[in-house]
Amino acid sequence: MSSVVAVPGSVAPAAPREVSRARGIRRFKWAILAPLIALFAGVLLPVLLLQLYFSFHQWSVYLGSWWDAEWVGLDIFKEVLTDPRFGWSIIRSLAFALGSTIGCFLIGFGLAYLMHKPFRGQALYYILFIIPMLTVPIVVAYTAEMLLYDAGPINDIISRIGGVEHKVPFLTNPDFALTSVMLLEVWNWTPFSFIIMLAGFSSLPKEPIEAARILGASTWRIFWEVQLPLLRPVIFLALTLRFLEAMAEFPKIWALFQGGPGSATETIPVYIFLTTWQYFEVSKGAAMSYLVMMLMIVIVLLAIRLLRREKHAIDAMTAAASRTA
Amino acid sequence: MSKPRVSRREFIKGGVGLTVLSALPYAPRAFAQAENDRIVAAAKGIGKTDVTGMIWSNYYIPMQPSMEDFRKQTGIGVGNIQDISIFDIPQRAMAEALSRSPQFDFFHIDGGMIPSLASAGLLEPLDPYMKKANFKIDAVGDYAKLFTYKGQTYGIPTDGNVHAQYQRKDLLEDPDAQKRYADKYGKPLAMPETWDDDFNIMKFFHNPEKGLFGSANLRNRANGVTWYLMYLYAHGGFPFADDMKPTLNTPAGNRALEIYLREKAVAHPESPGWGTPQMIPQIAGGRSVACQYWDGIIKLNENPKKSKTAGKWAYSTPPSANVGGKTIVRTISSPVGALLVNKYSPRKEAAAYLALWWGTAKSANQYVADNVNTFHDAWHKSNMTNPGVEAAYTSGGLKAVGECLQVACPPIYLTGYLEFQDQLGKHLSEAYVGQRKASEVLPNVENEWAKIVKRIGTKKLQEELATYKSNMPTIDKPKMS
Repeated sequence: MSSVVAVPGSVAPAAPREVSRARGIRRFKWAILAPLIALFAGVLLPVLLLQLYFSFHQWSVYLGSWWDAEWVGLDIFKEVLTDPRFGWSIIRSLAFALGSTIGCFLIGFGLAYLMHKPFRGQALYYILFIIPMLTVPIVVAYTAEMLLYDAGPINDIISRIGGVEHKVPFLTNPDFALTSVMLLEVWNWTPFSFIIMLAGFSSLPKEPIEAARILGASTWRIFWEVQLPLLRPVIFLALTLRFLEAMAEFPKIWALFQGGPGSATETIPVYIFLTTWQYFEVSKGAAMSYLVMMLMIVIVLLAIRLLRREKHAIDAMTAAASRTA
Repeated sequence: MSKPRVSRREFIKGGVGLTVLSALPYAPRAFAQAENDRIVAAAKGIGKTDVTGMIWSNYYIPMQPSMEDFRKQTGIGVGNIQDISIFDIPQRAMAEALSRSPQFDFFHIDGGMIPSLASAGLLEPLDPYMKKANFKIDAVGDYAKLFTYKGQTYGIPTDGNVHAQYQRKDLLEDPDAQKRYADKYGKPLAMPETWDDDFNIMKFFHNPEKGLFGSANLRNRANGVTWYLMYLYAHGGFPFADDMKPTLNTPAGNRALEIYLREKAVAHPESPGWGTPQMIPQIAGGRSVACQYWDGIIKLNENPKKSKTAGKWAYSTPPSANVGGKTIVRTISSPVGALLVNKYSPRKEAAAYLALWWGTAKSANQYVADNVNTFHDAWHKSNMTNPGVEAAYTSGGLKAVGECLQVACPPIYLTGYLEFQDQLGKHLSEAYVGQRKASEVLPNVENEWAKIVKRIGTKKLQEELATYKSNMPTIDKPKMS
């Protein structure tokens, strides 16, 4: 139990005005939080509880009312965890999310770096760069289908550049399929990373950069030793949010491949969808969703921890810089 | 003006003549009219009602004039529809079953879903309504059985979706090709009689450099399974034994797999990912030699405004197989658009009579003959003699459809239909693209199917198996029309 040692004279009775202000802030916080809490309690919590119920009860849509379902304890979780198809789906989802997140980040970061200083026509480029994000994923998928087929324009361009006819089987070869949809994800969601990184660059304090420049540091060194460390929390945020979003990608994969060719694109959202809405195995689908949710929570907690560490490191760095100044 | 004089004898002769005259060409119309009148009479007491349906607009648009006609006579019509693809409706309908929702009064859905949806308690049996209106599903052959489950009727067909044989007639008739083929295979180049003939002809003309591919059969994960099941049935196979043990890893099942996989050599390289949107232009665009395909594409092929190959195709039933000394011809009907009524709907009576109305000869001729909205294929007996329908299909095409309907088999007509199909489809697709050895496919699918049987309930599925078996064609070969 922690104790607070009061230093005589250090705690002055709060002025009525301060008390009132603190109360106002508290009220404001609750006013903001209340709808969210109500939403969670009214909508999300019942769904989560229902899913939890299904995860521990073996129920199929063909077997009467769901409240009559048989309690099976952890059996369904065991079934899911020993299902190789579930394991492969997780691996595919992780590979897809990792690959597309890195792709989105690298391009988004590069564009943000080029765009963060004002220049003529900047607004136009900004609009152009965010257009992909405004395109509905299903439209991205169908458009890609027209572009990526064997005799399609993309292969035509590749052939013209190479001078030899190339027919890259973007959509039909199981070795290419996941990569193809990963490239689409990168195209679709790079603007997201771009916007976050642009905000990050814009919010960088000018003083350390100016100080480094005065001390004669090269642009590369300023970038590597000043800007990049200061941007680390934003980078982690961009990577984490994009990774979580990519783990849940469904519309493009479903519209283009429906898990195929073979099972090359059967990611976890596809497998959960098939299990719940094609096989109508609601209990197994619920258990899988819970396990994936746990995985995501672990990833989020790790990310929060890393973000905190980065923030502390930056605070320490800023404090040291202030002391030096 | 003199008054015409008519003797008694002349009057009687004239009367007999008129009776015979009216009985000949107009008899079917009169019968059809009576059928419609009976439904109107049965539905009259319900009153003015708008029902809501889940139906794909591609199907609904040509059904609208008929519905408006029903509305005029009974006050029952369609208020709203939820317009979603027939491939997505099973999931949505099951969601309605789970919530026991009365929101939708009818679903236009793949008839293969009947066992699953009936098991989930969503479906209203239509027999009482049929009895009251003295209505029967007047489909070609045994096709009406595909909409029954455990002795009750749960669906009214609007679509005779069966696979027919499509063969490029212009290629078969080429004298040079005829000679070369006869020299090579020792038999004349003609419509394929056996599955090996079918493959040999595909192989013979397959010429990717000239943009001509032997086969236009689908091999993607979602659809390929339909072809496999057709091959299986055609070779006398059936997916389950009486005790519900899967029976795919059998001579018939392996032969079906062989046919399924060997066509990769004569298929378009993108076939592993192609569905109908990609394959139909191949067929109508003249870039395919042959296929077994849904019969609706005949209408498209033979429409010169939409096809480069109008008049260049010949149609028939799919090839036959020799099973125990008997020649067996089988095709498959999947997915097949049927109208199902929601048991939980307060307007189920109105929806049921509207469904019957859409199942009449008059309505069926109206929407099947539409050669712009071509999603409804011929299924009703009257479609086979209707000039409008014949104009859309050509006489050869319609004859083939009629024959195919007589030997049409259902997909896996059991509760768990989608799961059984997807497991098979997944494994077939993996083998087709080289992710899995062919020898692993059938044993693996059998294992997976055994798990599904166990989960849904062996006893329950055994009971359903009787319906599934009784829905299979009862004749080996179609009666030639």
